[in-house]
Amino acid sequence: MQITVKLVGPLRIGRFKEQVCEYTDGTSIQAIVDGFEFRDHLLRIILINGVHARVDARLQDGDTLSLLPVFDGG
Amino acid sequence: MKILTTDPVTEADKVLYQRCTLDLATGEQRLQDLPCRNLEDVLGGFGRSFQDLALRKIKTAYCDENPLIVNTGLLTGSSVMTGMRTYFSGYSPLKGSKRGLPAAMWSAGSGKFGAKLKWTGLDELVFEGRSAKPIYVLIKETSDGPLVEIKPAEHLLGLSTHAKIMALQQDYPDAHFAAIGPAGENWQQNYMGAVALSTENQLRSQEDKCRFAGRGGMGSLMGYKNILALVAQSNDKLKPLSPAVKQANLNVIKGGGSARIQPLSRGGGGGTWAAYDVLQAFHAVPLNNFRPQGNALPEKLFRENVEPEFEIKSEACFRCGITCHNNIYSKNPDGSAGKFLAKFDYEPLNLLGTNLGLHSAVEAAGLIQLADNYGMDAISLGVTISYLLVFNQRHPDRPLLNGATFGDYAKIRELVIQTGEGKRPEIGQGSMRLSQGLGETDYAYHVKGLEIAAYQPETNPGYAWAIAGGHMSMGTYGLLTREGKSDIDSWVKGITEEKLNIVGFDMIGLCKFFDIAKGIGTQMVVSCLKSELGLEVSAETISAAVRTAFLRGLALELRQGYTKAEFCLPAEVSQNPNPHIQLPSITTAEFMAELSKRVWNRFEPELAGLLPEID
Repeated sequence: MQITVKLVGPLRIGRFKEQVCEYTDGTSIQAIVDGFEFRDHLLRIILINGVHARVDARLQDGDTLSLLPVFDGG
Repeated sequence: MKILTTDPVTEADKVLYQRCTLDLATGEQRLQDLPCRNLEDVLGGFGRSFQDLALRKIKTAYCDENPLIVNTGLLTGSSVMTGMRTYFSGYSPLKGSKRGLPAAMWSAGSGKFGAKLKWTGLDELVFEGRSAKPIYVLIKETSDGPLVEIKPAEHLLGLSTHAKIMALQQDYPDAHFAAIGPAGENWQQNYMGAVALSTENQLRSQEDKCRFAGRGGMGSLMGYKNILALVAQSNDKLKPLSPAVKQANLNVIKGGGSARIQPLSRGGGGGTWAAYDVLQAFHAVPLNNFRPQGNALPEKLFRENVEPEFEIKSEACFRCGITCHNNIYSKNPDGSAGKFLAKFDYEPLNLLGTNLGLHSAVEAAGLIQLADNYGMDAISLGVTISYLLVFNQRHPDRPLLNGATFGDYAKIRELVIQTGEGKRPEIGQGSMRLSQGLGETDYAYHVKGLEIAAYQPETNPGYAWAIAGGHMSMGTYGLLTREGKSDIDSWVKGITEEKLNIVGFDMIGLCKFFDIAKGIGTQMVVSCLKSELGLEVSAETISAAVRTAFLRGLALELRQGYTKAEFCLPAEVSQNPNPHIQLPSITTAEFMAELSKRVWNRFEPELAGLLPEID
């Protein structure tokens, strides 16, 4: 399946901003995330097609997966 | 503090704090060791000051009966990381009800002043009345205990916050400082004066890197009292790290509490600046007075777009391993760091940049430094100016003041300077008064008279119940964007249970980044209290004290004349929904009405008996 992956903020560093990626059907979000080897605690928000999702949600061919870091104000 | 018990709950009165009450009109002072009334008193900060403010009936902020209370928290000056907070409390010149009564308010800041104050032996200063002449107050550690002296300060008049601190450092090289700027000196025209707190970095580098207690005009109240600065002179008294504190400090740095705030070089998120990137993914970065347009304009102030032209250094408060400051320097031709320009924290950067239609880092940095040097709260200043810019956009035939509009840096800069100098009371007195005077209140982005932070109100109905600033006293600002919660049950629970815990940090003396997600009712804090002070108290009991302190603040708002209808968001949010924000709509009139009903149903039964009866 083809998934458009968007990385936001520091998650982009050394990676990419947006890329269409090919995964085998049934690949979990967790597996995709693990593949990026983000530093602990940095990934916090997962969106599928702009809607908040959990790491155990299922992806469909053509989905856009956005991965965002956590943020705090001050 | 004198701690004569291990149980600060049932024997709170065996914990004594030292207070100096200074009558500024007569110079008389009283030093007292006062027994704590309850755990809120023990924890300190606003947990204590609001109990004292509640004893007074104050009808206007600028009156002799309104005290300025300067205190610390239980862990200020301790070895626990971030333990540097100072709290300034009083009835606010800025925040007030529609009945015209001022709200009780506190403002907190880091820097090293709080620790130095604690190390003098004094836990609290209460300033009564006002001085006839400009003064500064020296708090000095002596072998006989803390000594408090009033000193003439005519020579400091008109100086910037930084210049005042530099001047005082000449006389007190081993001290730290709290100072107001020209804005606070012009308290009649400027209600948003901040208090600058000196940092080690500032005193060492001579660069204006203060931290600020900005919210609610505590600097203006200090100016009214004619106090231009406070000097805390003491020896450093850091204890060796105990195993418990060492573990807690390690947890703060590595355990997730603050890891995301850490510098990029350490694998963190790069300070609060990272909020730009996240919120832009939802088109929820405030732009042109909180009206995001669904475009890429906010990206111009993304770190990745600023970094090529400037040197960005991650720096920290005294002994803090979080290192959340992003200090921006010009870049020399050889690539090294040049002149220090400004700190890029999310709130000032957005509200004095993108939200004014300014997308240049140099321009935003210029305004941030002006606000800091004049000693003005960047949030209230930025939001009041953005209101003015909308007004001028809507009324090109009768523009106000200099006719500034979005993106007009030169005119906006002129307004900032004039406001700091007390020449623009229209701005200096805040967006509530300005919008009421103009009869166009719908797009004034304040809640209960205090300008909101740089989170779209569409993402944070919790603003309405914040008691001392939208994001620092109600931690719901990420409930929708970060946690994806759009159902009413989650919002009721967030406001009435989990997210109010954020105010615990405004009691105990620690910065919110110590553990912003969990608050202070944690085993980590329990261990630190036991290790540092020998106090035994459970996490649940600490959380209960934080809740009581929050509810007392809410009760105090109601006593100062707020109606439930005033616990609301700016009207534009529901009247003219922004179609560009890519998040579920949770601020419709219907949602807010239901939320209000359920929140008050939860809070109201708990408010009885929290305040003393006063005539």
